[in-house]
Amino acid sequence: MSVLKRVQQWATFARVWHIYDATWQNPFASAELIKKYLMGLYKPIYHPMNDCGDHVIVINSAEIALPGDEWTKRVYFHHTGYPGGATWTLAWELHTKDPKMILYKAVYRGMKGNLQRRHTMQRLHIFPDANVPAHLLGNVSNQIKQLRPIPKRLDHMDPEVVKNSPKIFDYPKDYIVR
Amino acid sequence: MNFSINLLKYINFNQNFRFLTLSSSLKIKEIKEIQQGKDLIIYGEELPSPREPFLLKNKYPNKCPVCASGLNIKHTDVLILSQFVRSDGCMLPKRITGLCNKQQKIIGNLVTMAQKAGLMSNLAPHWSKKDPKKRYQWKKFNKYFDESTIKNYN
Ligand SMILES: [Zn+2]
Repeated sequence: MSVLKRVQQWATFARVWHIYDATWQNPFASAELIKKYLMGLYKPIYHPMNDCGDHVIVINSAEIALPGDEWTKRVYFHHTGYPGGATWTLAWELHTKDPKMILYKAVYRGMKGNLQRRHTMQRLHIFPDANVPAHLLGNVSNQIKQLRPIPKRLDHMDPEVVKNSPKIFDYPKDYIVR
Repeated sequence: MNFSINLLKYINFNQNFRFLTLSSSLKIKEIKEIQQGKDLIIYGEELPSPREPFLLKNKYPNKCPVCASGLNIKHTDVLILSQFVRSDGCMLPKRITGLCNKQQKIIGNLVTMAQKAGLMSNLAPHWSKKDPKKRYQWKKFNKYFDESTIKNYN
């Protein structure tokens, strides 16, 4: 086997590590994206019986964003198995308890429920903030592009930029600015 | 005497959030004094608006500023939306903004979205905590909005 072929072989079957910043991202739309890398769906050698999935590190999972009023409308159901053991937890309550859970469940539910799913989930590493252990971060060779741009807050902008930005209308002459 | 002291206290207490000040911070009129012999003339001189050098040119004089600009404004465009609110976050009335009925309503909705998403938290009442991360329960988490839910939005 030539050197080129050998390297090609490694490159094909090596597990790639991807990193994804979940800041201001919808977890359910992100799950579709993360799933593609976790299962290796984007690879030409993909086959359900072929173990070709990658690792994905998700950072800042505490900073995910939900659209509209979904924080109070989305409900997570759990049943302990005992009579009266049903609980309904709102998305914001679950996120307060564990900032990794909504993203984990979104990716888990985004995949087909077969025996492989638990093993695929083992390759997903979620962190609530940007503190990733160095031995994991050292493996990363690709960054997954975010789906939504992170909005800029007015109070984080430079006051000069705010003052010098184009203005749509001017105040009337007798208007008292306040 | 006692009453006037209490009144003074009240004025001092109100100082940090009253909107009428005697200083030139509002930049509408500057008080000028001219001594002409025995007469002292005190008058207010109108100052140019701080917005004037940065105004967009309106090519369509019979359209309102937003319609004429042809911009597709999103709720994340806080540099534009902050022009339509007061320092306490209240929407300016139509007689000040000069918008048409449709755009005034749309801009009002977009301002609400930006405020709920915590993007303009520095333009808020004086008693506001300002930091969206310190909000109550679900309100402290990031949220975004779909502009197509606004009636008549494009
Ligand atoms: Zn208009």
